Amino acid sequence: MPTVFEAPEINWAAIAPMLVVMAGGLIGIVVEAFVPRRRRHSVQVALSVVALVLAFVALVTLTVDNRVKTLGGSVVMDGMSVFLQGSLIVFGLLGVLTMAEKFGGDRPDAFTPMGAAIPGSAYEAAADRAGLATSEVFPLALFSLSGMMMFVAAGDLITMFVALEVLSLPLYVLVGLARRRRLLSQEASLKYFLLGAFASAFFLFGSALLYGYAATTDLDGIAAAITETRPGLEPLLVPAILLVLVGLLFKVGAVPFHSWTPDAYQGAPTPVTGFMAAATKLAAFGAILRFVYVGVEGTRWSWEVGLAVIAALTMVVGAVLSVTQTDIKRLLAYSSIAHAGFILVGVLAFSTLGLRGVMFYLLAYGLMTIAAFAIVSMVRQGGTEATQLSQWAGLGQRHPILAATFGFLLLAFAGIPLTSGFTAKFAAFAPAIESGTLGVVLVVIGVLASAVTAFVYVRIIVLMYFSDATSEDVVAAEASPLTTAAVAVGAVATVVLGIVPGPVLELAAQASELIR
Amino acid sequence: MTTPLEIGAGETALFWILAPISVIAALGLLFARKSVHAALSMIVVMLIAGVFYIANEAPFVGIIQIVVYSGAVMMLFLFVVMLVGRDASDSLIETIRGQRLATVLVTLGLVALLTVVVGQVTWGGAVGLAATNTETGNVTGLAYLIFGRYVWIFEVSALLLITAAVASMVLAHRTRLAPPPNQRAWAARRFREGKHLAGLPAPGVYARHNAVDTPALLPDGSISELSVSRVLAARSQVASPERFADAQDEIEREIEEGSER
Repeated sequence: MPTVFEAPEINWAAIAPMLVVMAGGLIGIVVEAFVPRRRRHSVQVALSVVALVLAFVALVTLTVDNRVKTLGGSVVMDGMSVFLQGSLIVFGLLGVLTMAEKFGGDRPDAFTPMGAAIPGSAYEAAADRAGLATSEVFPLALFSLSGMMMFVAAGDLITMFVALEVLSLPLYVLVGLARRRRLLSQEASLKYFLLGAFASAFFLFGSALLYGYAATTDLDGIAAAITETRPGLEPLLVPAILLVLVGLLFKVGAVPFHSWTPDAYQGAPTPVTGFMAAATKLAAFGAILRFVYVGVEGTRWSWEVGLAVIAALTMVVGAVLSVTQTDIKRLLAYSSIAHAGFILVGVLAFSTLGLRGVMFYLLAYGLMTIAAFAIVSMVRQGGTEATQLSQWAGLGQRHPILAATFGFLLLAFAGIPLTSGFTAKFAAFAPAIESGTLGVVLVVIGVLASAVTAFVYVRIIVLMYFSDATSEDVVAAEASPLTTAAVAVGAVATVVLGIVPGPVLELAAQASELIR
Repeated sequence: MTTPLEIGAGETALFWILAPISVIAALGLLFARKSVHAALSMIVVMLIAGVFYIANEAPFVGIIQIVVYSGAVMMLFLFVVMLVGRDASDSLIETIRGQRLATVLVTLGLVALLTVVVGQVTWGGAVGLAATNTETGNVTGLAYLIFGRYVWIFEVSALLLITAAVASMVLAHRTRLAPPPNQRAWAARRFREGKHLAGLPAPGVYARHNAVDTPALLPDGSISELSVSRVLAARSQVASPERFADAQDEIEREIEEGSER
């Protein structure tokens, strides 16, 4: 313990983006309290967008030149942090745009007017008539986003844990606020919350064991302790690392810690699903990269086989189970599980190129996911989302542009050349092949799993274009410029990153340095 | 390195007495059927953890543990349990067959694995906090860490608290959509509907018992369902008025017997 007080050095420029997002959330809470109800929605949306744009500006003007370890080592703003935080802000912006969608109504379409009302009760109907809306979702999303930004930049296990909670708690609430099929939404929220708390406990237990081993929670300190070796304490190391990894792998939805994913993705309001799928996955992989590359790489031979088994299982289970799904949201959930496996292959490359590939994959996957879920939220039957696959039959004949965009995104999920999905898979798999036999085996499994998922996606495209509609009233809702913009950004990015990936790959390469 | 600390016989005895109790209480938290029992087991665990902190020369953390956790947080928890209702009807039906057995096996496997692994560890001697406590001071040292090295986490936990407060409002607070009906409105409604013009019958029996859980008896001796709250009836917390009626009969019989003598 220190014997005199040392104030930690704070590099304000480095943490400015996080502070701006946090401040946006805090002002949003004040807005909830003081702004009249009918103006809250527009104020909240404007505030969130302004905060995210300011944060992005702060990131590219201030933070890029201040790549330092600051706040006593709690925050590490290196290239990886800057790249991933930038991606997170973009995801947040697209997420806020889709969450604000009204579809011609007078308030956000995806969220319940009153979270406390019993589903289906007269009170809920009265709340709906009274024009209430849960505009708290915007500050909550900003809080979650600031937690994610902390998570990818966390330099010690305690900061990582607090960031994990800051990002998770708002998400648990957001998942439970769907307007339609409230019971499903509440069940999803409860499941996500309980399993998330369970996973956090694993993370804490692992951290405690690691502290017992290294006598510090700083990742660089742990790395130093591993190179020194601690006689007598060695048995602690591997279980500790695996327990911490369980906590982190839960958030990316890796098998066997994936069981929450389909339920939470299905029950959550669709824009939240998109945001969660893109941003949470990116944040959790950022933390995994930092923990694995900075903290415990020194002993990697003792646990990388375990992680490789998880990666293989994740790809296989995600791909195979996506074949049997009949609900589009669950299908995309299983596809996201498979993608988590593909990204893990890149993580296991243990090289700068692998880091570059993983970061590029996360950005490309996030952009296409948000756009895909935004399209899912637009396809409707009788005012509610048509999530059953059978309802999508013949959509291509009535809404050719929408179906074409969705089909294109599906091809990108499958990793077909000329889409960002292909570039991303190539960027993640190539370093894995160079890393050794284990990498080659994983890449072979990955390619086979991709083939299986490609079959699933092509089946949906065939369904949209070549089958007759089962009912005529499945239509795509008229989207406002907000959702249209989000879909357009996602789709255009998928094209651009597929055809001219050079600049962004170059950016990712410049960003793939870690401050240890 | 400082010299290893001698652990006294008293502290060893304290540990071996309290540690098993703590483990049993922790298991009680898992297996208790009633949420109040689970909360009480949790308090025992927290109290013992506080005692351990104090025994480990960290009196401040120990007292905080007892005051904040056992005192404030767990009492709050009990209040919530009391307000929400102590419904213990957890469904124990397995939706996936064999799930419970599999859970038990996997849990035992994990416990065995961790026990073996942690059992192999040879710990270094204890150092103790005596040096820190005299040089910097227990509380001061903690403050140096919280407001120095870990100030970022300390500040950021504010977000957690705000999120928790907002979340509880979003998930549990019901905005009043219309002003509450006043007495005049209630009366008007009663007369409009033409039911219970004089109000609902009051609970209680013959001035012997006027608790809200005791239903009124009608002239023919049957129970008036209207006199007790539906909530109490649903929780089957309604007392039987029969024993008061029986006691009344007894008195009447005695008066009759007395007058016949």
